[in-house]
Amino acid sequence: MQFQKEVEILASREKVWQFIWDVDRFIACVPGCKDAKTVEDGKRYSAMMTEKVGPFKVEFPTTIEVLEREELTRIKARASGADNKIGSRMKIDLDVHLRELDNKTILSFTAGVDVLGKLAALGHGIIKRKADQVLDEFAQAVKKKLEGDA
Amino acid sequence: MATALTRRSDAQTIPVSFTLNGRLQEIDVEPHELLLDLVRDRLGLTGAKRSCDVEVCGACTLLVDGRPVSACTTLAFEVRGCSVLTIEGLADNGKLHPLQQAFIEYGGFQCGFCTPGMLLAAKALLDENPNPSEAELKHFMHGNLCRCTGYKKIIESIMAAAKKMRASA
Amino acid sequence: MLRRFRLEEPESVAQASELLGRFGDSAKIYAGGTELLLAMKEGLVQYERLINVKKLGLNQISAENGTIKIGALCTHHELELSPVIQQRLPSLLKLEQNVANVRVRQAGTIGGNLCFAEPHADPGTLLMALGAKMVAAQGSAKREIAAEDFFVDAYETSLAADEVLAEIVVPAPGANARSAYLKFGYLERPSVGVAVAFNLNGANVSDVRIAVGCAGPAPKRVAEAEALLSGKTKDEATRNLAQAGAIAGRAAQAISDLHGAQDYKEHIVGVLLKRTFQAAVS
Repeated sequence: MQFQKEVEILASREKVWQFIWDVDRFIACVPGCKDAKTVEDGKRYSAMMTEKVGPFKVEFPTTIEVLEREELTRIKARASGADNKIGSRMKIDLDVHLRELDNKTILSFTAGVDVLGKLAALGHGIIKRKADQVLDEFAQAVKKKLEGDA
Repeated sequence: MATALTRRSDAQTIPVSFTLNGRLQEIDVEPHELLLDLVRDRLGLTGAKRSCDVEVCGACTLLVDGRPVSACTTLAFEVRGCSVLTIEGLADNGKLHPLQQAFIEYGGFQCGFCTPGMLLAAKALLDENPNPSEAELKHFMHGNLCRCTGYKKIIESIMAAAKKMRASA
Repeated sequence: MLRRFRLEEPESVAQASELLGRFGDSAKIYAGGTELLLAMKEGLVQYERLINVKKLGLNQISAENGTIKIGALCTHHELELSPVIQQRLPSLLKLEQNVANVRVRQAGTIGGNLCFAEPHADPGTLLMALGAKMVAAQGSAKREIAAEDFFVDAYETSLAADEVLAEIVVPAPGANARSAYLKFGYLERPSVGVAVAFNLNGANVSDVRIAVGCAGPAPKRVAEAEALLSGKTKDEATRNLAQAGAIAGRAAQAISDLHGAQDYKEHIVGVLLKRTFQAAVS
């Protein structure tokens, strides 16, 4: 599943870039994500992703690997995790771009999301909707956090 | 599939007293036991089949108080106080039920895998409606799938049995 | 084999609510089990306790004071056999006769169907068009939830964690009331379901209610489509059916999946809207 999101943030590119690497605050913007830890600064991070669709709950201990990094411009990362209780795996390929527009920053990203295993039995459509919701909320949360801090 | 359950000492058990093919059974079950496993693994009645396991195909059909149920998705304790009929109990002391006889005469089965479920569902149909139209029959039997026969001979068998049963009623 | 769980068998709604409150997410209400047990078999959910609600006496059907009350624990088959449903709610009768298959109808309950809120299900859509209200009980307290507010999302209702759906209350259709439900599906579960209800006075169509289900995550009313048919003559409304159908299709929030592509489902919504209206009007 491919998703594309874009959000306009009233903050400088430097500020947004800094925020992204402030792992705790950044990860907190992903709904259902907690316990963010730095495993290898700038390269590897871990977090716990929990999502719920009605009675169906998943908990993915997730590893996030930074694959490419262009200062102030771009990050390529891969997040992957497995919920062994439910027997499902999740993989997200994230490509994040920052660009300046007047005195705003446009944060755009494409996300390739793969969910494998039992969870897929819920139906591709339901998962797609959920992933879409999560990514929307994430983008909005980042914007709010950055614009909220004067 | 285990043929004997290993029980933890603190496991909750439910005493289930029920009639199985006309005979009283008294057995303890754990809440999570499925009726199909009870019947096949503990009681040795393997006519009912685990096929789709999602209540769609009808190969696990049993009659509980005359009502067709998917044994694969029925908890065993739910038959307490009920009368359960499996395919092994359809014939009367070796004398075939008119439905069984008709399925043989009219070729209502090939591999036979769906047949126990078909026969029990058909019995439930005819007990409820001794003179079904073909449309009514198809509607009732809609949840019993067959991969071999193409259904035509199953319909003919049931209609023939129905006719016979009405004549001797 | 299912994972082990403990069975609780409360004998009152108060007891059931107390158990739900006490055990939270580790307990689940169990009625017919036709959806729940499948999810448990798949390993998608796990519970330490199942709370059997079949001893709460919530399986009565009655008609009184202009309303029809359907106990949440009525099986689909009991609804098929009910003289009240047969005489007063023929569109619901037809729906219930065609839920899943004969075995699911014997075990599955209407309450369980509504509470599991599986998108590919029938009753919610028609009940919404019929103006039904869901009565939720918690202890001795009761509250009514309009069908439009009951379905929140796929597999999600607005019931609180310790509430039990007790009954469904449907306003008794008047002499001029018409309704119809049609579904389309080629897999085991329906792919698209459309329900219409309205009053037909001579040639005048009024109080139109349209609900679309199965295609999207939850059943929805479509006010914009209703407006094109309500307050019109039969002929005017019929001429507007294509446009109303297109609007209803888009409103369905159809999701592309194994049941069909989004635009295909939207198209089928339009077709079913036309057919349900024509069936109800004739």
